[in-house]
Amino acid sequence: MLKNLNIWFLSSLIVSLIVLIPILTVFSSFFEDTSNYYQILKDTFLFEYISNSLILLFFVLIFTFFIGTGTAYLVSFFEFPLSNFFKWALILSFAVPPYIYAYSLTAFFENYGTAFTILKNLFGDANYNENIPKLDGMFGAILSITFSLYAYVYILARASFLYQSQNLIDLGKNLGFSKFKSFYKVILPSARPAIIAGLSLVAMETLAEFGAVDFFSINTLTTGIYNSWITFDDLAFANRISSFLLLFIFSLFIIENLSRKKAKYHFNSRGGLKQKKKTKLYGSKSFLAFIFCFFILFLSFLFPLSQMLYWTLKFPENLFDLQIIELFSNTLYLVLLSGLLLIVFSLIANYGNRVSKNKALNFLSTLSISGYAIPGVILAIAFITFIAWFDNNIIKSLGFISIKKFFIGSILGLVLVYFIRFYSLAFNGIKSGYEKINISVDESAYLLGYSKRKTFMNIHVPFLRNSLLFIIILISLEIIRELPITLILRPFNFETFATTAYISASEDLLEAAAAPSLFLILIASLFIIISSKYILRENNE
Amino acid sequence: MNKNFFEVKNVDFKVGGKTKVANVSFAIEKEGDVICLLGPSGIGKTTILRTIAGLEKIKKGSIELNGNVLSSEKKNVEPENRNISLAFQENSLFPHYTVEKNILLGAERNKDKKDHQINFQEIIELLDISLILKKYPHEISAGEAQRVSLARSVITQPDLLLLDEPLSNVDQSFKEEIQEKLKKILKSSKITTIIVTHDSYEAFYLGSKCGIILNQELKQFDDPYNVYHLPNSIEVVNFLNRGTLIPAEVTSPKSLENKDLGTITGNFLKPFPIGTKVKLLIQPEDLHHDDKSNLKFEVVDRKFRGTNFIYTLKTPSDTFIPVFVHSHHIHQHDVDEKFGVRRPIHIDHIVCF
Repeated sequence: MLKNLNIWFLSSLIVSLIVLIPILTVFSSFFEDTSNYYQILKDTFLFEYISNSLILLFFVLIFTFFIGTGTAYLVSFFEFPLSNFFKWALILSFAVPPYIYAYSLTAFFENYGTAFTILKNLFGDANYNENIPKLDGMFGAILSITFSLYAYVYILARASFLYQSQNLIDLGKNLGFSKFKSFYKVILPSARPAIIAGLSLVAMETLAEFGAVDFFSINTLTTGIYNSWITFDDLAFANRISSFLLLFIFSLFIIENLSRKKAKYHFNSRGGLKQKKKTKLYGSKSFLAFIFCFFILFLSFLFPLSQMLYWTLKFPENLFDLQIIELFSNTLYLVLLSGLLLIVFSLIANYGNRVSKNKALNFLSTLSISGYAIPGVILAIAFITFIAWFDNNIIKSLGFISIKKFFIGSILGLVLVYFIRFYSLAFNGIKSGYEKINISVDESAYLLGYSKRKTFMNIHVPFLRNSLLFIIILISLEIIRELPITLILRPFNFETFATTAYISASEDLLEAAAAPSLFLILIASLFIIISSKYILRENNE
Repeated sequence: MNKNFFEVKNVDFKVGGKTKVANVSFAIEKEGDVICLLGPSGIGKTTILRTIAGLEKIKKGSIELNGNVLSSEKKNVEPENRNISLAFQENSLFPHYTVEKNILLGAERNKDKKDHQINFQEIIELLDISLILKKYPHEISAGEAQRVSLARSVITQPDLLLLDEPLSNVDQSFKEEIQEKLKKILKSSKITTIIVTHDSYEAFYLGSKCGIILNQELKQFDDPYNVYHLPNSIEVVNFLNRGTLIPAEVTSPKSLENKDLGTITGNFLKPFPIGTKVKLLIQPEDLHHDDKSNLKFEVVDRKFRGTNFIYTLKTPSDTFIPVFVHSHHIHQHDVDEKFGVRRPIHIDHIVCF
């Protein structure tokens, strides 16, 4: 055992312990007393929390499946006007987090909102409010989450379709299948693991969603956790609800992992197989394919973007009040700190796994990436719970000064929780880069007299450079969009674009939420455009 | 005092705790010698090379080079400190460097060596890689990658060079030429080399000694002629696919009797008491074709091998015997025809088990 205690092992152990903290804290809540709120809630709202979460999940999964798979099928197999543009433009929806979509939806459809203004300008004064549908409540939340997350299914399904061989499709034709029959008998089943992986990610994100459901006042498990903490100050109960949610999410996490492994085998089969030819569509078919993709792009990205742009221009005073430089530098600060920490630890852990071939280390690594599955709200609250417990029971009993202020409401605490949440992004990104370097490359280096350090610096780092760049972009994208962790753990008076938008929206000042939301969408879009080739796996097979 | 340049003593070669080849001992007497290890795929040949290179550790026996212990239960010199070079079977080139840079990295290893005899130009010309120097590993074929890897390993001028199936991806048409060049380079540079291969002809051509690894053991370690003609076990016979074993009875110190072939005379490699029932190895070149002979068997198969035919004959007791015939022989025999075997039958080295 002592032989295993090297820097790689210790580093992975530290990361795993940090990730374990929220999980253990959540489950330890069963041994603690809760306030009366537990009983009240059990009798009244708990059923509603669970049923709302499940309704949300059910419809979001159905919609994201149809939209994600449908658009992926069209751009992968057919050529129609702007099909190459849609290929990457459809992932821009990632730039619009569900809560910003929710603001746009409300801003457009509310009484005297943008829809009203358009109708008034077109047809003159009238009481249009009665005829404008109110896309809020559960339906609004489903739409917001669907249009923000369908790209997970789109990306994975498209990658799977892209690597499906022409032979497979020819086989369908040879058996006399129609295009439709080929789709559901051959193409869809072989892409199934990838689609399930995409849907599992959607499911995890939906269950973890906080901003949009909170905005529409839908009581789900996530808002229940937040409310039991913020309204009733009952951390133990917040953690108890979290544990139910976590069990459910971890089963999704396992499904996603298993599906992804199968999906990977599928990608590998590409070698040596004939590349697929896209079918050129003509006439009404071409028009319908274009309209479908454009409709999805419009609803998921152009609509919220233009709504936010419209309101920013309509209420320019909000733009002038916005501390753009400060918000930008705050975001950059968080991105740089978290990115650096994540990259360093992920590199060490990956390199450790590579050189030590230790099963215990491998297990720790798997454990340490599970933080991604834990909703931000749970992570933040569990982190606060742990720090409070640690401070009261360990630090103070040892006679040291309280450490709460260093971790709660501080940059350090915020970055640490980001670290837990996004560690799997960095770890898996570097891992996939490493998988492309055959282990015999390292061994050749040793045999050429290279030390382990020299091998790492001269062989690994230059080769992983592109992967590292991509990971930093992804982390930046996530941190810019992130809401609950930042909201709960940020220092006093420290805001990001996301929290500024949220605070304005929660105070019913949607027009003030427009400018930060617009900046958030623009910055995130920029990152998506830069990394689209990687996201779509075109350079990165 | 250890007289051998390189020596493996009673080593169990393991990978992931599982023994691949047990209790192996062999030696390379002089610096500059080339030996080959032969065996079927997956038998543990690569594990032996990886262990010698220091990439796997041992818990029994020892590995010594030039009088220094490299591996033993207590000691393990790190791979980077062994000055042993291993050319892997799979592509192990540094993916972000060009072919040229990959080879030059190898040259840096022993640039101060006084008896440096191989230069960059020489090696790239010999291995015919001058046209791909500016390319990256992903832009070249598997065969080219293997030659580059070979060049990188050779140019390091190691104390011991280990080649793992060095020509397995090289085109058949080009293989002999590369084998000749490789032999020339190894000889001129006096690099002590262990080559692992499953191609017996490659091993017989390149190695001054050959080791046969079968069923987790080093079955035979001898010079190529002896391995080929005088296999020491039935497993080696089966592995080399050299002939067939037929039942016979020892009738005198210089003869045996077989039911189908009659009396066979020759020199026994190992004496057997008269009356012993043995299995006699008949190799394709042991019997000679003679149309006029009255000892005739039915042809059941005929393999054309370019320079020769190998006929498979069926005897009355249902034994199948291979016979070598030069392909310029005046006529051929079809399947089902009768085929005469010259008598008396004399085999120079009688191999029996």
